[in-house]
Amino acid sequence: MVSPSQLVLTAIAAPAVLLAVLGCATLFSHRLPEIFTTRLMAAAMTISFTALVAALCHRTGPGTHFLTYGQWSQAGGIALQLLVDRMSLAFGALAAAVLGIVSAFSNRYLHRDPGYNRYFVLLAMFALGMQLIALAGNVEVLFIGWELVGLSSALLVAFFHDRPAPAANALRVFSVYRVSDAAMLSAAVLLSHVANSDSLAALFLASSAGGSGPSLSTGAATGIAILMVVAVAGKSALVPFSGWLPRAMEGPTPSSAVYYGALSIHAGCFLMLRSMPLFAHAPVARLIAGILGATTAMLAAVATRVQSDVKSSLAYASLTQVGLIVVEIALGWRMLAFFHIVGHTCFRLLQFLSAPNLLHDLHGLSDKRPPVRYHHSGASFVYLFALERGFLDSSLEAVAVQPFTRAAQWFGRLDRRLCGGKEEDAGCHN
Amino acid sequence: MPAVTTSALLWLGTLAGLPALVAIASLLELELERLRRIAFAAASGLVAVALAPAVAGSLRKLGLFTRGGEALLRVNALSSVLLPFAAGLWLLTVAVTPRGSFDRAGHRRAALATLTTLASFLTESAVALLLLQAAAVMIFFFALNESADRHQRRVVAAYLGASTILLGGGVAMLVVGRSSGVETAGLWLIAMAALLRKGILPFHAWVPEVFDHGRLGPAILFSAPQVGAYITVVLIIPRAPAGLLHTIAILALATAIYGSALALVEHSARRACGYLFVSQSALVMAGLGCGSATALAGGLLEWLSAGLAFAGLARVVLMLEARRGRLDLTHYHGGYERTPMLAISFLALGLACAAFPGTLGFIGQELLVKGAVDVFPVMGYAIAVASALTGVAVVRMYFSLFCGRTDKPTHRSLHFELKRHEAAAFVALLVVLIGFGLGPRRLINSRLRASRQILQLRRTPAMNLDARHSVLR
Repeated sequence: MVSPSQLVLTAIAAPAVLLAVLGCATLFSHRLPEIFTTRLMAAAMTISFTALVAALCHRTGPGTHFLTYGQWSQAGGIALQLLVDRMSLAFGALAAAVLGIVSAFSNRYLHRDPGYNRYFVLLAMFALGMQLIALAGNVEVLFIGWELVGLSSALLVAFFHDRPAPAANALRVFSVYRVSDAAMLSAAVLLSHVANSDSLAALFLASSAGGSGPSLSTGAATGIAILMVVAVAGKSALVPFSGWLPRAMEGPTPSSAVYYGALSIHAGCFLMLRSMPLFAHAPVARLIAGILGATTAMLAAVATRVQSDVKSSLAYASLTQVGLIVVEIALGWRMLAFFHIVGHTCFRLLQFLSAPNLLHDLHGLSDKRPPVRYHHSGASFVYLFALERGFLDSSLEAVAVQPFTRAAQWFGRLDRRLCGGKEEDAGCHN
Repeated sequence: MPAVTTSALLWLGTLAGLPALVAIASLLELELERLRRIAFAAASGLVAVALAPAVAGSLRKLGLFTRGGEALLRVNALSSVLLPFAAGLWLLTVAVTPRGSFDRAGHRRAALATLTTLASFLTESAVALLLLQAAAVMIFFFALNESADRHQRRVVAAYLGASTILLGGGVAMLVVGRSSGVETAGLWLIAMAALLRKGILPFHAWVPEVFDHGRLGPAILFSAPQVGAYITVVLIIPRAPAGLLHTIAILALATAIYGSALALVEHSARRACGYLFVSQSALVMAGLGCGSATALAGGLLEWLSAGLAFAGLARVVLMLEARRGRLDLTHYHGGYERTPMLAISFLALGLACAAFPGTLGFIGQELLVKGAVDVFPVMGYAIAVASALTGVAVVRMYFSLFCGRTDKPTHRSLHFELKRHEAAAFVALLVVLIGFGLGPRRLINSRLRASRQILQLRRTPAMNLDARHSVLR
């Protein structure tokens, strides 16, 4: 009889082994047969899904359990700790199922593509990251999952790397993800400082309704929750970070489907959902999250109506729902938010995956809209606002990116002057 | 003090003899390819020999010529890992440096630089460290011997000369100083010398300048072992007041953010590498200055991780330059399809620099944050920012150097991908960084042991020889 603890470990080990096998093959430039890669991916996702469903069947009660699988170092206190309850197991199983479907679709979509191996390596990295996010029991595991998802996402945006646009857009996406990572790590530091623990029990179980986790003061809870909102906003493309979402559509359609239609975009929402006990102690953070969610939903609803390509249109439609889910979480509607995540994941995945067929059958949907002529100034502004996606990109550029770049370049020039250095190209010296 | 065994002396002789052998061989009229093979064999052998103290506990008790509690030559928990680290850097240099740019003199300088680094990691005598610093600076200085490097020679002479003079002054005050005031002043001078050598704010400007316009190979071999950090551990931490350590930690954190921010906007790949090194090596100093055993262990781990990952990253840049000429980051170069292994190695090593999960850097930074969270929480936030910026800088370099352009068809006789021994060197480096990132338990415990020994020295009076010896063992 396999214990739930072993089942959960198996669910994580399957994508980890998959990543190791495919990663080594790619490192050594060994092109595996497509059929082998596909079967391996299918086997890993099936094992992961089956293990999580079996663990879910074991756990019919509402309790939450933390499983610690071994300390990397006793004194260092770094451990692989997983949290097992119905929600984490269900989300993990959903992720495995979705990834299995997408990998089967990708097999045909990327048939004979030169980057076939690379694509599946990144998909395996994403699968591992999502399972870790779903089942994370401490900050380290959550952060590992968070980073794996971010890196694989950026590298898939740059998948077609023989053109400059995907690389440029991937860098923009990755930059926003790193802001999100920094906020997440800062939240972890603050949590460790105030709760003297890196267990997510402080966030997921803390507090009021007889929670068994350590209690936090309102100030500390608000600080951690606000940092988490920033992290979630980056990962789930909430305002003011929504500008990266259409840029991320440069990647292959199956990856767009699984990241920005189904799983990655909901990862932040899921984390907020898990942290609802923390947010219950941080009304200011809840208010901020609610405002961001509502603003994102409205902006995305407007922007989706003027997008000229089907993937961007679907991405903004997806973002509308994500904004609504965040509002639901801010209002404390836990179960509604969870089922909204599950339902929206499945529905949007279907839409994204059927988009290429639709384009093929109709001989393209992009740029088929008739030119719009607005004579009324108000309507014209709304159209422009939607077309420019709320001017978020340009605003962030003006407020954050350019001042940072100018300041750093000024310091760079100062360093050169300090050494009496030269600006011109001096050739290579090995 | 245990008697020095014959096997220990034999071990020491082999450790010093292998680089010396290559230095002597470089003076003979040997064919260059033969010299390269000898150097490769010697470097591989040195890695195996240097690993002995990590395996054999008896060697970790070795101490020779002890006076005033300080041994001229000592092997302890700290040096048992630093020795293979220094040997590994030499092996990497010999294995992947393009042959066209690694002449007889280059082999001699690399061997001598390794010898001085090994000797530095084996001593705790302030005077010996001063002499070895002077020797290392001279070797590095003579590496910049082309007319195009004249300006960089001046920069190196100014910064590293000042570092050596300050170290000399500080050591003299420590040795002859009778009052605590003189000793404290000496420690401040030594701290400034270490900051200069490591390139910590405000003494950082020489590092990117030398990386950018000087010779990259010698710059890597001089910088990556981070002897400045060793000087801090051996001379400063046991004696320094808390204020001095705090100052070092604050300057180091500012440098970590500053270096990664500038790496993000730099146009030159070499200069960006220089700033990345400044940022990474600053994190090591931050851990050393924190005062907590866990953070110190994190700093020691970061020392290994940043040194290896950065040396590998810079070597990839050097190899790319050998194929494409000088690299700038203002446009996309493409080339992934031609050199997939080089591209993957660059990305993986860069991510190890940025403390990506699954690498040794992640473990080091985790320990740094964990150790600092109670005594110095600002460090956690600063590391979060520095790590985020470093990640973006690395990915920007990766996209610019390997993506964004279709590879033009070339004649089939042209080979861009790594040769077998080069590939093996990078794979071995990745195996070390990822292997210890996934299974770090033994290494963490060893670094925690070393950090406790170092911190215990702060509480052990310098003249109490017996207590000092028992701590060091």
